[in-house]
Amino acid sequence: MSTAMRGLTTFIADLRNCRAKEQEEKRINKELANIRSKFKEGSLNGYQKRKYVCKLLYIYILGYEVEFGHVEAISLISSSKYSEKQVGYLACTLLLGENSEMIRLVINSIRKDLEDSNEINVCLALHCIANVGAREMAESLAIDVERVMVASSRAFVRKKAALTLLRLFRKHGDLMPVLDWVDQICPLIADENLGVATSVASLLTAFSQQYSDQYSKVVPRAIEKLYKIVIDRDFSPDYVYYKVPAPWLQVKILRLLQYYPPPIEGSHVRNKLTSAVNAIITNSLDIPKNPQHSNAQNAVLFEAINMAIELDPESPTVVMAAELLGKFISSKETNVRFLALETMCHLAGMSDLGLDDIKKQQDVILQSLKDRDISVRRRALDLLYSMCDSSNAKVIVAELLKFLPIAEHAIKEEVALKVAILAEKWAEEYSWFLDVVISLIGVGGDYVGDDVWYRVVQIVINNEDLQEYAAKTVIHSLRSPTCHETNVKVGGYVLGEFGHLVANLPGCSPIEQFTILHSKFANVSLPTRALLLTTYLKMVNLFPEIKGEIVKVFQQWSGVLDVELQQRACEYLAITQMPTDDLLQTVCDEMPPFPERESALITRLHKKILDTEDKRTWAIGGKDVNREIRQRTQRKRALSSSAPPSADAPLLPGLGTPPAAAPKTSNNNDLLGLGGLDGLIAKPVAAPPNPSSSIPVAPIEAFYNKLVLGTNGVLYEDGNLQVGLKTEYQSHMGRIALYIGNKTQSNISAFTIELRSVPALRFNLVQPISANVIPPQTQFQQMYTCEANGVFSDPPLLTLNYTINGASFRHDLKVPVTANKFFEGISLGSQDFFNRWRQIGGPPRESQIIFKNPGPIDLDATKQVLTGLRWQILDGVDPSPNNFVAAGILSTVAAGKVGCLLRLEPNMDQQMFRLTLRSTNELATETLKGLIQTYLTTAV
Amino acid sequence: MISAFFIFNAKGEVLISRLFRHDIKRSVADLFRVHVIADSSNKSPITTLGATSFLHVRHENLYVVAVTRGNANAALVFEYLYRFVTLCRQYFGLLDDSTVKANFVLIYELLDEVVDFGLPQSTDHQTLSLYITTESIRSERAVLEDAKQITLQATGAISWRRPDIRYRKNEAFVDVIEGVNLLMSTKGTILRSDVSGQILMRAYLSGMPECKLGINDRLLLDRDAHPGGAERAVAERQRRGQGSGGVELDDVQFHQCVRLGRFDSDRTISFVPPDGEFELMRYRTTDSISLPFRVTPHFSQSSTTSAEYRVHVRSMFSPKVFAQNVVVKVPTPTNTANVKVVVGGGKAKYVGAENCVVWKIARFPGATDLVLTFSCELSHTTAGKSGKAWSRPPISMDFQVLMYTASGLLVRFLKVFEKGSYESVKWVRYMTKAASYQIRF
Repeated sequence: MSTAMRGLTTFIADLRNCRAKEQEEKRINKELANIRSKFKEGSLNGYQKRKYVCKLLYIYILGYEVEFGHVEAISLISSSKYSEKQVGYLACTLLLGENSEMIRLVINSIRKDLEDSNEINVCLALHCIANVGAREMAESLAIDVERVMVASSRAFVRKKAALTLLRLFRKHGDLMPVLDWVDQICPLIADENLGVATSVASLLTAFSQQYSDQYSKVVPRAIEKLYKIVIDRDFSPDYVYYKVPAPWLQVKILRLLQYYPPPIEGSHVRNKLTSAVNAIITNSLDIPKNPQHSNAQNAVLFEAINMAIELDPESPTVVMAAELLGKFISSKETNVRFLALETMCHLAGMSDLGLDDIKKQQDVILQSLKDRDISVRRRALDLLYSMCDSSNAKVIVAELLKFLPIAEHAIKEEVALKVAILAEKWAEEYSWFLDVVISLIGVGGDYVGDDVWYRVVQIVINNEDLQEYAAKTVIHSLRSPTCHETNVKVGGYVLGEFGHLVANLPGCSPIEQFTILHSKFANVSLPTRALLLTTYLKMVNLFPEIKGEIVKVFQQWSGVLDVELQQRACEYLAITQMPTDDLLQTVCDEMPPFPERESALITRLHKKILDTEDKRTWAIGGKDVNREIRQRTQRKRALSSSAPPSADAPLLPGLGTPPAAAPKTSNNNDLLGLGGLDGLIAKPVAAPPNPSSSIPVAPIEAFYNKLVLGTNGVLYEDGNLQVGLKTEYQSHMGRIALYIGNKTQSNISAFTIELRSVPALRFNLVQPISANVIPPQTQFQQMYTCEANGVFSDPPLLTLNYTINGASFRHDLKVPVTANKFFEGISLGSQDFFNRWRQIGGPPRESQIIFKNPGPIDLDATKQVLTGLRWQILDGVDPSPNNFVAAGILSTVAAGKVGCLLRLEPNMDQQMFRLTLRSTNELATETLKGLIQTYLTTAV
Repeated sequence: MISAFFIFNAKGEVLISRLFRHDIKRSVADLFRVHVIADSSNKSPITTLGATSFLHVRHENLYVVAVTRGNANAALVFEYLYRFVTLCRQYFGLLDDSTVKANFVLIYELLDEVVDFGLPQSTDHQTLSLYITTESIRSERAVLEDAKQITLQATGAISWRRPDIRYRKNEAFVDVIEGVNLLMSTKGTILRSDVSGQILMRAYLSGMPECKLGINDRLLLDRDAHPGGAERAVAERQRRGQGSGGVELDDVQFHQCVRLGRFDSDRTISFVPPDGEFELMRYRTTDSISLPFRVTPHFSQSSTTSAEYRVHVRSMFSPKVFAQNVVVKVPTPTNTANVKVVVGGGKAKYVGAENCVVWKIARFPGATDLVLTFSCELSHTTAGKSGKAWSRPPISMDFQVLMYTASGLLVRFLKVFEKGSYESVKWVRYMTKAASYQIRF
């Protein structure tokens, strides 16, 4: 049969020939109608199906909606012909979004293809998974992909599988049992095939950023591989790129290794790494002419320098590297300059020796601020910020101030912030700091954030010797014709506090101070005006002789439209006109010094650093910043290594589990992160409970009640075991995961779970517990799906039987699957609500009850109960704010969607509630009423 | 006023570009292309970007655009744009992509005549055709002779007519053409109905004839019946419930040849007609319209895979006349796979390209009923889940009914007075067409 698909070709030709959009639309509508009728007829052979799906895809690519044909496209995937399968996968990747419900239908076909012996089919499946990246795929196929990666005989399949896994991990890392794979994945970095090793290195880099401790096993292997390539020169010639062997792999391994602390001094591994890094750096001393060659070499070199810095910041290699970097920052290549500056930034933050070298290059770096490329300018700025210390602070700050007016808008704010921080940090005399900041405000204007001037005020108030100088300086700056608003703010504050210190100097008399401030009053924004009014009040206190002028201003502004200003003016006016000055003096007492605290500026700067790609192992900033980070991570490491023997793969965080006992069954879903549960399970370790106690830590009823209103939490807990519950509901369907954790040090055996459901609920066991023995400190899970057939009032029951140390236990638990779980709030307007309210009508569809609350009514708690029961509270429907009006829909299979409306009128004095419920189903009305009443009266 | 004038085709290529003032660069064309042609969400005829306003009309896939940077009179600019389109059609018969490309020299010539420094000038075809000709180059002397005439005519009192026209047979044709707009709700109530009509005239009369046209304008008839004054006439009419058989015109617009002063004072339409075909007047009326067709659709969707239609059409005009070229377009759901049609008259078939069933009836007699029934087989879609339901566009209808006016307008007389006092023959035709005749279901 022909594979040319002439129909498709003519169709595309037709569309190309369309002159106007309308014509094209017509042609497409015609084709869609044709395809619909063909699909409807059925009995198409593979070729025809492929042709029509191709047409649909073309239409889709042109930007039209394609809302049918998905089923046909999916069916192509299971075809045995490659051409058809390929189109099927293409359609699947294009037409199905990651949230499409159809994904479920393809998962099985994909799994089959993953297990196929034909590697081309496996690759198609991998492409599809990676391109769609749906959550369900990650959930159910990650394990298969991992198996392919480990077991496939073909290198290109392994490579693709690694990349697919990386994509899934980046998107849905929480769903994958990454920790189970340590032993399987780590060896792969030593794969014969360098392509596989490169892909695996990317994957491991991603894993290591999140689970660095668990994946530390990879370190020796990675070093070994690097050594092999760099020193032994053992690589296939295919991977030599412009004389550099496998540059990408080298870079990736070096980056990966930076996430781990360097191996112990003197160890064999360490020596190998050091020699490899040294070799890379020495080999790169001369720069090759060919740009591609030098690019590849530099890429490896920069990463090697980073590695060397991490290894030992004070080693001679680093000094050599620093010299090399000095050459690079004046390179012609923009990329090289960028990388050199970035690496220098790293160096400046870590090494003293290196810093001296960098300082020699200061002029070149300052020159880089004026580079053509903005990213280079940014790096130069970062570097200047990092390398600044008391010896060069004045020069750098002055340069940055000069740079500020010509900097781009995008980095102006950052420059301003950095100037302010450096000025504060390295100021030897405060007057210099003040001068810098005042000129910074003058130059930077709007780009200087409020934090900067807050900080100035704090420092001025905390340093007595600075105050007089500050007052003088601000008066001077206020005199300048182009005075920025922030300067007015500083001026207003400082003069209000310390104006009296300079009142005797020529040109600074009280009235002159006042006039100079007031001359700016008209040109500043409202908040600044408010601040100035307060300054005036302080002046009344400081200089009673100018009270008359100031009172006039207050009088004038007491009639202004702005509420804030008016209030201030009126109040200040009242204070000034009091018979005695006692109140005025108390109010305007000198400001107490601010408590010493970390500069808010630094916190703000750190907030700005957002990394889009791999995490940095260091921070921009001086040595102290990096040292602090280092210490923090070391402390963390120390903590985790002090935990029981092998902390490699703790399944229950905080608890060490011997790897041998790590059961396969507790797969990815452990990582679903039963947030609260982890903490709860970890607790008993601190205070080990009586091993045989089976007395629940809290009343079962309390757990139950909490879960009726919430989705996740503990269902039962005693000294032996903990049962957690995680649920998810959507209309009439639900998914329930039970987590059973053994808290003791011995095995729980003969473990059985039995769930007795009510007729209106249908449960389906999706994923049973595989064994009936639960090893100590381990968590197993069992998953159900459920479906509400009708309205029900009683919850299902769960019976747990188990034996521990010879003693048998049995627990009967209510499972919090109640009617409200299949309930969804809807928002209605007032008009809609009352229309429906009237439509439903009175009894028997209405039910009303009046009941007493045990204590005083708490409206917020009531609101929480209603929203917990998944009602949507409608604001503004009932005129009384205390009354609640809510609406929702109960979905079941048999009864369909039942609309429910509710009015709840609390009587605060009597502590009574009146609850009126109307719904289209009598049983639903009663059930929901019962639930609401129960949970309103029980404190949860 | 107008700073620049452009014509774009549907792809956004500039076909004609003329700048009249220096406050604009030629590159503003790119702005229009980006913000109007490429932006399908922008449907407004006026787009203001910064201080620059683009006013455009669409004609046959062309965008005719005027650009202004001042506070120009938008109504005037649009009138000018429409006039320009009409003028081009009078010159080329049709204005589209290819005719613009073929005649761009002539269009630039026309543009230079009809706009001067951004101010619209005479757009009268009669006058322009004297000096912008599509014929071959004429001799110097003939041009010189004509030039005198041009000045005379362009500046004279009756710029639209040459004085020396002679016909052996003096004839005048009057066509009353009405377009009916209707929008009917699902419940059968009329949401909007109006008639926009035009009176076209073809005059082949000698000399400088003075014509008078009489129509059954209700105001005029009432005043004739009650010389006491219009107010009394209105009161009288209200008392009697229905009018005197006249038509109440909501607004009228005349060709420049009509003496508006006379119309204002005694509502007589008197004019010296241009030679040949012209549009004498345009009017609109919303009062007591007799709809030519009544459509009652029934639609039911029994399941997600099938839908049934039954469309019943009844002609409301008298059995003496008949409608021609009746086309009923019934939109079908966008996921229609197959359609089975049963039809009482005419032909009907499913047209996938337009997502509708097209029912054509060549001749539809008055006071008769026709029924179309069909069922659609629907294919499964994913659209319902994503919340985008079929918008269910209205049924639309197209038809022509000869010798029938939906508004009831009649030409009572057409008198021709000329110094030569010749006999003239007058012909009157009526036609009602569908403009936008839509029925929701």
